[in-house]
Amino acid sequence: MIAPVVTSLIEVAVWTGIFRGLQATTLGGFGLDNYLAYAIWGSFVARISVTWNYESKMIEEIESGSINVLLSRPTTFYEYYLFQFFGYKVVTTFVSLLVPLTAAYWFDLPVFLDRLPLALLLIFYYLILVHTLSFCVATIAFHLNRVHSFTVAKNLSLWLLSGELIPLDLLPDFWRGILLNLPFANAVYIPVGYITGRGDISLLQQGFMTTTIGIVFFGLLARLSWQSGIRVYTGTGA
Amino acid sequence: MRLARLRFTLQKYLRLYYAFFKASFVADLEFRANFITRIITDVIWYGAQIFTFEVLFLHTNKLGDWNVDQTRVFLGIVFVVDAFYMIMFHDNLDRMNTSIRKGDLDLLLVKPVSSQFMLSCQRISTAMIGNLGIGTAWLIWSIAQLPDVQWINLLWLLLLLPCGVLAVYCLRFLFSASALIFTQAESVMYLWYQIYRLGLRPDSIYVPWLRFAILTIMPVGFIASVPARAILEPASYGLFAWVLLWTVGLMIFTSWLWQLGLKKYSSASS
Repeated sequence: MIAPVVTSLIEVAVWTGIFRGLQATTLGGFGLDNYLAYAIWGSFVARISVTWNYESKMIEEIESGSINVLLSRPTTFYEYYLFQFFGYKVVTTFVSLLVPLTAAYWFDLPVFLDRLPLALLLIFYYLILVHTLSFCVATIAFHLNRVHSFTVAKNLSLWLLSGELIPLDLLPDFWRGILLNLPFANAVYIPVGYITGRGDISLLQQGFMTTTIGIVFFGLLARLSWQSGIRVYTGTGA
Repeated sequence: MRLARLRFTLQKYLRLYYAFFKASFVADLEFRANFITRIITDVIWYGAQIFTFEVLFLHTNKLGDWNVDQTRVFLGIVFVVDAFYMIMFHDNLDRMNTSIRKGDLDLLLVKPVSSQFMLSCQRISTAMIGNLGIGTAWLIWSIAQLPDVQWINLLWLLLLLPCGVLAVYCLRFLFSASALIFTQAESVMYLWYQIYRLGLRPDSIYVPWLRFAILTIMPVGFIASVPARAILEPASYGLFAWVLLWTVGLMIFTSWLWQLGLKKYSSASS
């Protein structure tokens, strides 16, 4: 519980600092309170829409051969971890939701709380894509001996593309257009932009659409990757 | 006599470090895809830092005391300090929690070398040497873009960059050492990363009390803000002396606290 509180305080310090440094009252048409709202909700959403532990566990299962136990169960490896991942994220979300809500109230930040349920729905929908991506990375462990650095590379790339660092609307039009049409903007920018008033319902609709396309695309990739991996797997660890 | 013993000890540790380096290099090359991905990962991280500032400078001419060219120099220093830290300490301190929790520390305590040295330096990330090259190239390029650079000021970096690396090391070591007290210290590591982030922005943007804090209690301002000042602004001898003294003090404090922690440590199950 302390970690998200400190994160929120650091976000406030960093963005207040940036605005002090800018010597201006607005940045890209939004004031400091908009950025504080974005940063606090952004760090909350980003913690939900990222996975480290479950991906590591999946890689570990394949590397060590303990996946054999799961292969003999009446469920798939994908489903087994998807439900664990979802269970963990649902609990984490509702426990840590108190922090951005309190911060928004405390600092009197512009937040549209009536938009929260739909934004959370998009985040949970996006988690299916997050898990599918993790599954794709984990299946590389069938072919290579050490793949943990792939997790770091993937998560850092998503971090860069998600809008957690900086709201995507600050980007030049060309780049903004590209990033908004990728599903990864659903990790932070689209749900947080919707909650904090940077975008309207059409932004959220676009989010659902790009997430669906992402799930289909990476789902197919995951399937191919799994089939190729299980073909070379010898049952004694990769 | 005392000097000879000191020289002997120093040679012993240097030989040991060289052996660690060779072993780490061989181990890294064993997993080539992992080796290359680690380099790419850090390049993405560098890209993210550059991206953030370049986007901000699309909307303003100044951030704190510095313009875009000066901020690029600041970033160059961030990259170089980070690369040194990643090569020398990161992997070790990253798994220090686990080493303490799983009892690996017990094995290190019976060896005839400092346990702090063993925990901090056993693994060297040779893949990151490529990143040091990239960071250094960025730093040289960004300095060359400055209209009126005093090249002689770069000599200050010989003093201030090691201070930056050591300050990060000491702080991170103190956070990692909390595993002696807390069984699960992952959240503490998350806190460390948040504090570290404060050092990745120029100190001049912060409110005075926070700026004071990152130059004293949590000296993440030593990472790049102070070394960048040495290049971009007239020399501030008082500040540089403070950085040197505080870094030495922090190293002594870290070592003292580690020894104190070990006295309370009662093996892996503690």
